[in-house]
Amino acid sequence: MKQLIIVALLAALAAAIPSLLGENPYIIGLLISVLMMAALSSAWNIIGGFAGQYSFGHAAYFGAGAYTTMILISSWNVNPLAGMVAGIAIAAVIALITGSIVFGLRGHYFALASIAVAEIIRLSVLNFEFTGGAQGILLANVTLWGLDLNSKDPFYYGMLLLLVVTLAVTIWLRKSKTGYYLQAIREDQDAASSLGINLARYKNRSLLLSAALTSVAGSLYSVYIRFIDTSAVLDLRLSIEIILTAIIGGVGTLWGPVLGAILLVPLAEMLRSNVIGDSLVKLGIVSETSALGVFLSENLAHAHVLVYGIITVLCILYMPKGILGLFRRIK
Amino acid sequence: MLFIQSLISGILTGGVYALAGIGMSLVFGVMNISNFAHGDLMMLGMYLAYYAFTLLHIDPYLSLVMIIPVSFLFGFLLEKVFISRVIDHPHQNQILLTIGLGLIMSNTALLAFTSDPKILTTSYSSSAINTAGGLSISIPLLLSFLITILITTILYLFLLKSSTGMALRATSQNREAAQLMGINVAKMSAIAFGIGTALAATAGALIAPTYYIHPLAGHSFLLKSFTICVLGGLGSVVGAGVGGLIIGVVESMASTYISTDWKDVIVFVLFLAVLLLRPQGLFGKNGGQ
Repeated sequence: MKQLIIVALLAALAAAIPSLLGENPYIIGLLISVLMMAALSSAWNIIGGFAGQYSFGHAAYFGAGAYTTMILISSWNVNPLAGMVAGIAIAAVIALITGSIVFGLRGHYFALASIAVAEIIRLSVLNFEFTGGAQGILLANVTLWGLDLNSKDPFYYGMLLLLVVTLAVTIWLRKSKTGYYLQAIREDQDAASSLGINLARYKNRSLLLSAALTSVAGSLYSVYIRFIDTSAVLDLRLSIEIILTAIIGGVGTLWGPVLGAILLVPLAEMLRSNVIGDSLVKLGIVSETSALGVFLSENLAHAHVLVYGIITVLCILYMPKGILGLFRRIK
Repeated sequence: MLFIQSLISGILTGGVYALAGIGMSLVFGVMNISNFAHGDLMMLGMYLAYYAFTLLHIDPYLSLVMIIPVSFLFGFLLEKVFISRVIDHPHQNQILLTIGLGLIMSNTALLAFTSDPKILTTSYSSSAINTAGGLSISIPLLLSFLITILITTILYLFLLKSSTGMALRATSQNREAAQLMGINVAKMSAIAFGIGTALAATAGALIAPTYYIHPLAGHSFLLKSFTICVLGGLGSVVGAGVGGLIIGVVESMASTYISTDWKDVIVFVLFLAVLLLRPQGLFGKNGGQ
């Protein structure tokens, strides 16, 4: 209950930000990305953190939401919300198929199979014609109940709502019977099984929940950007970013994924827009015309995945329980 | 005729896949680690062969003499510095660590070699033996296959006869028992990872003359190697060899009879089918663990 109140208070604060900022589309855009990654990572946390089943293919569910929504809108001009619901259904089907194949198995198999499923979907979308193939799908504008969805604000609130729902589900799950079963499965599958917990059923449930929330984020993202292709919504890189965000914040904790998103998304954005390279030049640390300066300005923008790699390695070696885990140890 | 043609090219390519698969399987068997950097190690092998050829004018097949020891050493050090520290961690941490290492390798390659795909063209790149029946056998693929057989035979004898090989197999069968028998399992892990890296790099070098060389090429080879290992039974070296040939043939048949675009999809569907029907693989012993 206490946690629910904290979530509600923080959400109220976050809801006030757009009106405080005034017209600042760049910052709002960045905040939407932070909220989205926080929601995605929290949704992943339900299966990865609580049940201890690391899915390396969550891009599949994100892509399912995004593609289903975009195809329905572009072909049949369906209401975006109906597209979102259809996206949840498709994501649920994918989750059920994945779950029924691998949840009878242990160890490395779920990780491997989740990647295989995601890759099958990515390559199929790339090869089919109705999905737009390599070109992707572009929409000129999207309307909801006659309203133009060109402003960023509705998506800010949409992502915030999704994050709040995901956190509320997490809080509920932690105190529910299902949640205890999942934690028992994470800690010791044999012990959980011998106490009569149906491993496959509970793993499937948490994967379904996680997939549904992830697909909603995909639907919101697709209508927000109005352009999707496989490299944006179905890539393995996205799956890894989602996990990494949770790891850095703290896997299996309520606030870990949120903290991870607050740290990682702006960092990636700074690298992408080359803020770091530019400021090194401005501060006079690196001369703009020197070889290093030229190299930084040309390449640092492409280096954000490299930085992700370095952070992953350091994180696993030195703080595998994430920032919150580190904090807890100090306390 | 078309059938035999695609069977032959499938087996020839499959040999190289088998090499990569054996490397991954060995690491899995000895260390119980899924190495997600395997594809990127293969990519590094491709670039080593490419630059040995363009800068030093060494034939890609000859350059293996240099690539194998260099990559063994690289793998050995990777294990000592990074992997050995997570050997007792939960397997998801091991996976994430190797993913991180893979990202560092592929994106460093992206910075160093740019994203333009490179093509290694030797004087015999497009030459082929044309048999009486109208079959054509690509010379570089045939050479790669023969080298693969040579390397696999040497590795097999090494594992079977040498004392280090026996120690490796013992560690693979039971780590604790091997340690109690006085085997230095930490050293065995580093050697296994070194051999795994050398095999990945060799497979990369062997496939370089017939493939686009790109910093992100490792991605599809990683998934292929996993399919091969699971098909053969995780940790089974013989299984990985057979699995590689099967994947090569399946891919080649799929390209001939269905479409090149769908060949990877078919390989991954096969992967899921194996998990569903025979999770222990063709040669695996303990299923589903």
